[in-house]
Amino acid sequence: MNNYNPISALIIFFVIVALLFVFFRPIKGWFWILRKNFKNNEKTIIEDILKQLYHFENSGNKVDMKTLVQVLDYKNTRIVEAINKMTINDLIYFESDILKLSETGREYALRIVRVHRLWERYLADKTGFHKTEWHDRAEMMEHKLNHDETNTLAAHLGNPKFDPHGDPIPTKTGKVAQVNGVELPLLQVNTIGRITHIEDEPEVIYKQILAENIHIGSLIRVIENNNTRITFQSEGEEFKLAPIVAANLTVSPIEKEVVIEDNIARLSSLDEEETAKIIGISKESRGESRRRLLDLGFVKGAKISIDLMNPLGEPHAYLIKGTSIALRKDQAAKILIKKD
Amino acid sequence: METKVKSACDTCAHFNADGLKKLGIHTDNFDFVVALAGNPNTGKSTVFNALTGLRQHTGNWPGKTVTRAEGGFEYNTQKFKLVDLPGTYSLLSTSEDEEAARDFILFGKPNVTVIVVDANRLERNLNLVLQILEITDKAVLCLNLMDEAKRNNISIDERTLARDLGIPVVPTSARFNQGIPELIQTISEIANGTIICKPHRIKNVPDNIEKAVKTLAAEIEKEFPNIPNSRWIAFRLLEGDTQIINALKAGELV
Amino acid sequence: MNQKNIDNIIELSNELRWQIGDDFHDNLTEGIYADAADIVKDTVQVDHSKKRFRLDSKIDKIVTSKTFGFPIMFLILGTVLWLTIVGANYPSSLLANLLLDNIHPLLKSGAASIGMPWWLDGFLIDGVYLAVAWVIAVMLPPMAIFFPMFTLLEDFGYLPRVAFNLDSLFKKSGAHGKQALTMSMGFGCNAAGVVATRIIDSPRERLIAIITNNFSLCNGRWPTQILIATIFIGAVVPSSISSFVSLLAVIGIAVLGMAFMFTVSWALSKTVLKGEVSTFNLELPPYRPPRFWKTIYTSLIDRTLIVLWRAIVFAAPAGAVIWLISNIYIGNESIASWAISSMDGFGFLLGLNGVILLAYIVAIPANEIVIPTILMLTVMVTGISGGEGAGVMFELDSMNATGDVLRAGGWTLLTAINLMLFSLLHNPCSTTIYTIYKETKSAKWTIFASIMPVILGFVVTFLVAQFWRLFI
Repeated sequence: MNNYNPISALIIFFVIVALLFVFFRPIKGWFWILRKNFKNNEKTIIEDILKQLYHFENSGNKVDMKTLVQVLDYKNTRIVEAINKMTINDLIYFESDILKLSETGREYALRIVRVHRLWERYLADKTGFHKTEWHDRAEMMEHKLNHDETNTLAAHLGNPKFDPHGDPIPTKTGKVAQVNGVELPLLQVNTIGRITHIEDEPEVIYKQILAENIHIGSLIRVIENNNTRITFQSEGEEFKLAPIVAANLTVSPIEKEVVIEDNIARLSSLDEEETAKIIGISKESRGESRRRLLDLGFVKGAKISIDLMNPLGEPHAYLIKGTSIALRKDQAAKILIKKD
Repeated sequence: METKVKSACDTCAHFNADGLKKLGIHTDNFDFVVALAGNPNTGKSTVFNALTGLRQHTGNWPGKTVTRAEGGFEYNTQKFKLVDLPGTYSLLSTSEDEEAARDFILFGKPNVTVIVVDANRLERNLNLVLQILEITDKAVLCLNLMDEAKRNNISIDERTLARDLGIPVVPTSARFNQGIPELIQTISEIANGTIICKPHRIKNVPDNIEKAVKTLAAEIEKEFPNIPNSRWIAFRLLEGDTQIINALKAGELV
Repeated sequence: MNQKNIDNIIELSNELRWQIGDDFHDNLTEGIYADAADIVKDTVQVDHSKKRFRLDSKIDKIVTSKTFGFPIMFLILGTVLWLTIVGANYPSSLLANLLLDNIHPLLKSGAASIGMPWWLDGFLIDGVYLAVAWVIAVMLPPMAIFFPMFTLLEDFGYLPRVAFNLDSLFKKSGAHGKQALTMSMGFGCNAAGVVATRIIDSPRERLIAIITNNFSLCNGRWPTQILIATIFIGAVVPSSISSFVSLLAVIGIAVLGMAFMFTVSWALSKTVLKGEVSTFNLELPPYRPPRFWKTIYTSLIDRTLIVLWRAIVFAAPAGAVIWLISNIYIGNESIASWAISSMDGFGFLLGLNGVILLAYIVAIPANEIVIPTILMLTVMVTGISGGEGAGVMFELDSMNATGDVLRAGGWTLLTAINLMLFSLLHNPCSTTIYTIYKETKSAKWTIFASIMPVILGFVVTFLVAQFWRLFI
């Protein structure tokens, strides 16, 4: 304590705080970066290559070395090494310049895809992570789970058919459900359809779609479709998207004459003194939250009205099946109603 | 459903007041186990206290009883152990309360399950009732808070309700000890097998699910011929309930 | 039973489930409710002709109205707290008089008359008995007032309305409206507050409420805050407003605690807890007149006595430890004075001293004995007259005398302010830690909830001390 003075004490303190921040701040902290690099072993690279090839082949594109190096975020030498190893192990083969998956390679790739999509489904249903984080977390997880763990996870989730983006989850025998539908810009005006898939890459566009509050499973009706924009109506709201954004939405047109209810609204738009009937809960509410809402009686056909307005604006209390239950605005926005 | 279920009024005359002794928490050497289930805020704890003579705290607040409370009463020289389960809206989700309640009804194998419902909110409460009736066939519906219902001008046809549900229905106002003797009498009759229930099974299920459930339930019955709740197990398997899958593997469900 | 058949059944269920698709749960629940609606249609008649007066909705309109909702709420909660703190004074001093001033000497002379060796008499009577007596005297009266009042409000059905009114504030920090109640409960006792988090049925928000409950200034800490504020802060202002200013200082600390509660809740929900499941729903049950005496009885049994018993169980060994460290010597020094001198440096950095740090270490079991321990240790290390002897906790009748002892121990206004801050921001008492473990069943969260507040306390007191020395 001989040479104590408050200023030097403060300086030492702030230096320590700054160091801790540099090392451990989320994602960009040195500690995390080091850990991540340490874990990027050969297996990860091989699996990432397989997955990329699988996606390219599925969309009918051909891949050569150059494209592969561009899409993958590894050093070129490591990719070349991995590819050599994969050809020796018969996971892939070359057709002149083009890389192709062998039968074993395809199976392997499907397993990785299965883990990735199951994990996204797990994050969506059983955790509270925001949807912008699902993809990156699943990218890490897909290299970690082995065959048995994957099957346990699938059973735990009730063997789901689709991941939260609408992509089919391959079964353990390699069966893949069909995603119906076409890209939104290909639809005629006045077509009615259901959104079956939202592409989560590239991230910029995905985030834009999320910000618009568009979600899987909702019915839409195309109102306007031209080169500059596509307008459609869904869940009582009107959305306007640029064609490049709209192309990330897959919509399955509904052939049958369905009556798309014209005056569907969200519960959040219900006013005091109004009554309504519940049409359903939007697919955007999932996992535990969705179950709670259903258990509490927010089911199709139930009558609902506002019981109490909140002095601070939310949550409002709704009278449903004889009981007053308070819901926050974001929850109420996911319940679709038809006003009486 | 044309079973001859006694409605409350057929049974009330038989209550033998001298045969009743409230045992508080002394539940050694009991003859029967009775589970007490119900939604939060239905006065379940009040019913529990009325039956056992205990003074459990009864908060006006959903989700109060997380720890299981036990108590007992003696009726006609038979000892009944009463277990107060956490109040839940459903047994289908995965919260701690719901798991505790479900596990007790399923694995604790109570001789009788008393389902306490709020007469003012019958429709909402039936959600839980119908789920419980898929699991167990020895149950009685305790239609509580009848005094409030009367004030709210709600009248309930107890006979039809008993017939629809296939279990006895006893109207009570536990706060004022009304209907408790009839409830005790009914519990005793179910426990002793005098009343046989033929519980309601969920009907409004889409065809594709019903078909799947039938297929699966048939397979389960093939393996466990006397199982009372094959349909419910089928529901749970379709939901991917890991706990039930493991219990099935370990043979704990029979 | 054939294991292979069972595996086949499970395999079949997987296959069927895959065919049905992902709407199984929705369809099932809708089916059950449809059945319920069918049954109700046949059996329930509601007579709408008699227009009834809905008292419930009238009360609700008032207690959740824009004009009256908040004033009513602050009035009720303020009254409860005020009654608790003020109302507990008299029975507390009565109990202290009985247990500390009458029974304690009686026990001492009784022990002397049967020739009990001094170390056994010291260990049992000065150590264990005194700590237990202190905890009872300080803790029992406020809890016996607070819990029944709180339980009455709960049974009546008012508390869910408070959660309803305040939810949007708590939502902003990622928490649940019901945390308003567990927080208020924490003003009575943090352990009881942690138990009360059971009413929050969303995993993430419940953990937040458990971890941040310690920021509610509990009954064991109010007296410390009031005493120190009166002695040191009241002394720097004119005597005419001194009691008002010291009251303001205590309220300031409590409000600061709430600010920390909101900030830490927000930080937790954005970082370590963001992966936990989060749901929200709040049922507003109908009002039911509570049955007064029954409620009083059950709240005394269920809450007050259980919490008190736990506190006693933890306080008894603490008393023993306090006596032992002051009476066991290593070389020429008792363990206590050795520990104090080795922690003095660190204590100085934080604007505190070794005595305070040691008192907080040995008083982990109960915040109630912090001040008596500090007084005893101060007298011991300074060697001034007064006190009851090594290892014997004591309190002084007059605040002036207490202030004199503390000033003799080197206390300044900075020490007092930092003690008040540290009393707010330090680890929960061991009863609460134990309760957190029982409620979360997780060693990880228990350790986190125990350590995070102390680190915060170190940082805050450190910063205050440095800036104080720089500028004042």
